[in-house]
Amino acid sequence: MASAAAGDVRAFERLYRTHLARVHSLVRRMAGGRDTDELTQDVFVRVWQKLGTFRGDSAFGTWLHRLAANVVIEKFRSEALRRRRLSGDDTVFDRLAAPRQSGDVSMDFEAALEKLPDGAREIFVLHDVEGYKHREIATMLEISAGTSKAQLHRARMMLRRHLNARCGV
Amino acid sequence: MDAYTDRLSEYLDGEDLDSSDRAEIEDHLEGCPACRAVLAELRDVTARAGTLHDGTPEGDLWPGIAARIDSARTIPFTARAARRISFTIPQLVAASLALMLLSGAVVWVSRIGGTRVDIESIAAAPGRDRRAIADVAMADFADAQYDEAVADLEEALAAGRDTLDPQTVRVLEDNLGAIDRAIEQSRQALGADPANLFLNTHLAAARQRKLALLRSATALATKG
Repeated sequence: MASAAAGDVRAFERLYRTHLARVHSLVRRMAGGRDTDELTQDVFVRVWQKLGTFRGDSAFGTWLHRLAANVVIEKFRSEALRRRRLSGDDTVFDRLAAPRQSGDVSMDFEAALEKLPDGAREIFVLHDVEGYKHREIATMLEISAGTSKAQLHRARMMLRRHLNARCGV
Repeated sequence: MDAYTDRLSEYLDGEDLDSSDRAEIEDHLEGCPACRAVLAELRDVTARAGTLHDGTPEGDLWPGIAARIDSARTIPFTARAARRISFTIPQLVAASLALMLLSGAVVWVSRIGGTRVDIESIAAAPGRDRRAIADVAMADFADAQYDEAVADLEEALAAGRDTLDPQTVRVLEDNLGAIDRAIEQSRQALGADPANLFLNTHLAAARQRKLALLRSATALATKG
């Protein structure tokens, strides 16, 4: 990592390949599958630019994933857009036909995740997949902790309906 | 569903939930099988979130990243002029014309039916039509010839820079540097996705801009 921070591109490529799967998956889930490759590239370019600022206060992976989340958040940040992203249709799973069961529960769950409204999905990924607390999410998304909790519950309830539909409940 | 249903996630996570609120919800759960069922399902959802697998992209994203990293490094214009050569105005004009012909000779062959489509037609087509022509392949790019002609022009300009005003030279260097970075970025990205219509259009446009700039420089050198 020190070599990469000193401008060694080969060393940075090794860092990139080590963390690519994790970052790409985080970006894909937060962005709902949109512009995933482009955003992933944006993340690593930002990492290259900011590598000299990593102080070692946390694990490098933790620092990197926080930066990746911020890149996605910035991409979709706008006041009007955020209002739309925190509203959206809660009945999306009711209206859609029951999802075709691929036999791979994880794949079905990922597909269901992509169907969530943007804001609810973003918060679900940050909290339940990435492990951030509501206070941290509130700071990152510039919302209140109460809004973060409400949106997380909304996302979970929608995914619960998806799982129930999958089981024929 | 009742009012307590909306608090079940908060109860599950326990973040910032004081003891009295927790006790109230637990009292409710004891007497509400429906809420207990919902709570179990919410636990299932959070458990599944923790078992998701990470995957890699289908293509290699590194070339695009490397190009953007590399483009942040500037290459001094003067570094290219490794040797002084004598040049004449006719030679400069001839090289510029050759470059113009090469750039204009970039054509695209559709994979479907082998129809030759001029890049300017694609660029001018409405958005939906451009997407419909997405399946095209690059042909006759003549990279080596283009680069050789550009190198000759740049060396000629470097040799003739004394005839130009220093401020003009600085503007030329800045603009050529910016165009070169755009060209290199497109080249690197096309290495991973050679049939990408947007990238090919972008590269052709950058080369056209370089041509226009070199023409202007030629005209200025001729006046001087």
